[in-house]
Amino acid sequence: MENLEDLKILAEQWSHQGIEYLQKIPPSQLYAAIGVLLFTTILLFLSIRLVRRTKSNTVLLSGLSGSGKTVLFYQLRDGSSHQGTVTSMEPNEGTFVFHTENTKKGKIKPVHLVDVPGHSRLRPKLEEFLPQAAAIVFVVDALEFLPNCRAASEYLYDILTNANVVKNKIPVLLCCNKTDKLTAHTKEFIRKQMEKEIEKLRASRSTVSTADIANDFTIGIEGQVFSFSHCYNKVTVAEASGLTGETAQIQDFIREYIKP
Amino acid sequence: MLEQLLIFTRGGLILWTCKELGNALKGSPIDTLIRSCLLEERSGDVSFNHEAYTLKWTFHNDLGLVFVAVYQRILHLLYVDDLLSMVKQSFSEIYDPKRMAYDDFDETFRQLRKEAEARAEELRKTKQVGKPVTSVKKQGQVLKAGLEGGNKRIGEAASKKDDGDGNKAKVSNLTNGHSKENQQLENDSQETDLANGKENTSSNVAVDLSKLQKLRSKGVRGRGVRKADSIGNKSSKLAAAEPAKKATKKNRVWDDAAPKQSRLDFTDSVDENGNNDHVDVVAADQGESMMDKEEVFSSDSESDDDEEPGSDEKPAEAKKKGWFSSVFQSITGKANLEKTDLGPALKALKERLMTKNVAEEIAEKLCESVEASLEGKKLSSFTRISSTVQAAMEDALVRILTPRRSIDILRDVNAAKEQRRPYVVVFVGVNGVGKSTNLAKVAYWLQQHKVSVMMAACDTFRAGAVEQLRTHARRLQIPIYEKGYAKDPAAVAKEAIKVATDNGSDVVLVDTAGRMQDNEPLMRALSNLINGNQPDLVLFVGEALVGNDAVDQLSKFNQKLSDLSTSGNPRLIDGILLTKFDTIDDKVGAALSMVYISGSPVMFVGCGQSYTDLKKLNVKAIVKTLLK
Repeated sequence: MENLEDLKILAEQWSHQGIEYLQKIPPSQLYAAIGVLLFTTILLFLSIRLVRRTKSNTVLLSGLSGSGKTVLFYQLRDGSSHQGTVTSMEPNEGTFVFHTENTKKGKIKPVHLVDVPGHSRLRPKLEEFLPQAAAIVFVVDALEFLPNCRAASEYLYDILTNANVVKNKIPVLLCCNKTDKLTAHTKEFIRKQMEKEIEKLRASRSTVSTADIANDFTIGIEGQVFSFSHCYNKVTVAEASGLTGETAQIQDFIREYIKP
Repeated sequence: MLEQLLIFTRGGLILWTCKELGNALKGSPIDTLIRSCLLEERSGDVSFNHEAYTLKWTFHNDLGLVFVAVYQRILHLLYVDDLLSMVKQSFSEIYDPKRMAYDDFDETFRQLRKEAEARAEELRKTKQVGKPVTSVKKQGQVLKAGLEGGNKRIGEAASKKDDGDGNKAKVSNLTNGHSKENQQLENDSQETDLANGKENTSSNVAVDLSKLQKLRSKGVRGRGVRKADSIGNKSSKLAAAEPAKKATKKNRVWDDAAPKQSRLDFTDSVDENGNNDHVDVVAADQGESMMDKEEVFSSDSESDDDEEPGSDEKPAEAKKKGWFSSVFQSITGKANLEKTDLGPALKALKERLMTKNVAEEIAEKLCESVEASLEGKKLSSFTRISSTVQAAMEDALVRILTPRRSIDILRDVNAAKEQRRPYVVVFVGVNGVGKSTNLAKVAYWLQQHKVSVMMAACDTFRAGAVEQLRTHARRLQIPIYEKGYAKDPAAVAKEAIKVATDNGSDVVLVDTAGRMQDNEPLMRALSNLINGNQPDLVLFVGEALVGNDAVDQLSKFNQKLSDLSTSGNPRLIDGILLTKFDTIDDKVGAALSMVYISGSPVMFVGCGQSYTDLKKLNVKAIVKTLLK
C-alpha cells in the first residue's frame, strides 16, 4: 500500500513538471507539433492498411444454407467432415495450410478461410468480410439445384454487384458441391441456369429506380444476354464433393490467387 | 425416451452425439430449430416443437457451444433440463477447440443420464405430478432477491463498523451454522426431514450470490475474506472456480424440489434444535430484506445508464484496492458475464426499445434472447457491459429485420408472367390503416415498371369503398373490376382473376374490407377469399402508429387464417406494408414488432399522401433509430 502511495506522489510530481514544461513552449509551436504527430500517425495507419490489403489471404466460402460450406471448410482444414454438421449460426474462421499440403516440404503460405453462414438472416455478415477478401468460393448444391436456383442466383447476383467485389475485382469460383451423387447436375447445366436467372434479375433490378437499392453496380453488357464472362471480375466453375473430400479444384483455385 | 442429444459449435460442427441412442431422427429437427428458433431471436424460449419432437437447448456462450436434446413430444421428460445442464458442465471441462472427437464422453454421459433419470424417478415417486417445481423456484428467487438486498445491507453496515462488532459476528456465525446444515443436505439426498429446507437452501444461495458479487466488484477486502470464510467452504469454493459454482447451482434446483415434498408431507413438523435456530435467522434476514428491497432497486435504476461491473461509484470512498481491481477488470476483461451483471443494462435497453414504440412483449422476448446469447461470455478488454449488450442487440435487430426471402416483387411478377397467369396480391388489415390508398401507390409503382395492373374492388362492405378505388383507377388509368356492394368478396376476386387472365394483365391487386381481428364472421370471409383464390402474396397493411396492438393484430390475423382455412396447407401473411411512416418521427418500433411476430418482411413503407410516397425499408436506419 505504501509503495502505491509513493508511486502516486511521484506520478503527480512528474505530471506537474510536464505541465510546467508545456506552458513554457509557445502555443503555436505546440499546435504545430501536435499536427505533425497526428499527420504521421494517420499516415502510418493508412500505409499499414494498404500493405495489409495487398497481402490479404482471406478466402470466403459463401452460398445458400445447406449447400455444404461448413463440410468443405473442415475438409480443407482437416481432411474430414468429423461427425457431420448442422446449420451454422456463426462464421467459421481459420488460418491454415490445406490438409493435403501438410506432407509437402518447405514453407507454405497459410490461407485465411472464412465460412460465412448461408442463412438469409445472416447475410449481412458477408459484407463485413468482403473488404478483405482475396477470393470467393460460391458453393451451390448440385443435387437440390433446381428448387434453390432462384435464391442462389439472387445471392450470387448480390455478391457480383457488390461494390467491393467489383472494385477489387475479386475472383469468384462457382463451386458445384455434392457431385458424388448420381443425380447431381453437371456444372455446365448449373452455369447456364444461373446465367439465365441472373439475366432475369438484371432486367428486374435495373428497373427499380424509386426504391433505394443496395446494389451500386450493374453487371453484364447492355443489350446482350448475360454470361459470367461479362463480369468485371473472373468467374470460374468447378466441381467438388464435401462428403468424399473431393476438393482439389477448390484448392487449385485458391492457390492460383494465394501463392504458396 | 430421449431420442438424441447433440453437442455442436455455433459454427455448425457437430462435436458429439449420443451413439447409444442412435435413433435416426425423422426430418431434420435440429436444422429447423436453428433456422426458425435460434436465428429468429427466440432462444429465450423454453422448448421448441417440431413435428413429433420436442427440443430443448442450452448454450455455453463463452466456448460457443450449443447443447440440444430431442425427445418425443408426447413424453414429458422431467430430467432433460437437468441433464442438459450437467452435460454442459462436464463437457465444458474437457472441451478443447482443437479437438474434434470426444469418444470418451460416452461413458460420462451414460453416468450423467443415469443420475438424472434416477433423480426424476425419485421426484415422481415423492410427489406424483411434477407441477410445483417451477413455483418453488420462483418463490426461491423472490426470497433470494430479498435476502440478497438484506445481506448486502448487513455487509455494508458491518464494514462501516469497527472490527469487534458483536452483532455481525453473530450473524456470520449463524449463517455458518445453516450453511453447514445445507451442505449436509446436499450430500445426503435421502434426508427429507427438514421442515424449512427450502428457505434454507435459497437463503444460503442468496448469501453466496451476494458474496460473490461483492468479492468481484470491490475486490477482496480483509472484511470480505473473513466473512467469506465464515460462510463456509461452499462459498469459497464458489468464488474460486466457475464450474464448481455451476455444480452447486444444479444441485440447488434439485434441493429446492426435494425438501418441498417433505414439506408437503409434514406441513408443520419441527425437529432438531439446530433447525429451530436457523429458522430464526431466516426470519430475521427476511425482515431486514423487505426494508432494503426498495432501496436496492432505486439505486439500481439510478445507475442504469452506466453500469460497470458492480457499481463502481459506491466504493469510491478511497477504497484503493476496490478501485484498482475495477480498473484492472476493465483492462483485462471481466471473467464471465452473469445474469445479475446483464440485468440492469438489459432493463435500460428494454425501456429504450419501448419508448421507440416496440411492443412490450417483443422487447421482453428480445432481451431474453440477448441475455441467453451473452450469459457466460467473457467480456473483452476495454468494453463495458452496456456497450456489449447494445452490440448484441444491434446484431439481433439486423438479423430480425433482414428479410428471410427475396422481397423483389417485380421478379416474382415476371416469373408469373412466364407461366401466363396474373400475379395476385391481396391487401388485408384492420379498418382505416390505408389499404386502398397504398394499393393505389403500389399500382402506380408497378405501372411505372411497365407492368400491366388491374384492381379488384372486393371491399363490398364499407360505403364508398368501390367509388374510392374507382377514382384511383381513373387517375392512374388502370382497369378496375367491380361488382358493386353486398356481393361475396371471394366470388368477386375469383371473377377478377379470371378476367385478368383473359385480358393478359400481369398483376391483380385485390382490395378487401378492413376488419378487426376479433370479428369472427368477417375473418371467416377473408379466410375464404384467400384460401379460395390462392393469391401469390398476402400483404398485411399495418400502420406504423400502432403500439402493443400490433402483436395482437398480426398474431390473430395469422391465427384466424390458419384456423378457419379448410385446406390442409393454409395461406398466412407473406409480407407487411407499413403505412403512415411519415407521422411517427423516431418511434419506428412497430416495424420491429410486426416483423418479429409474423416472421415476414416489410415489403413497402408508405410515407405520404401522393402516389410516389412508397419506399423500401432501410434496415440499417431502423436499427440505428431503435437504439439511438
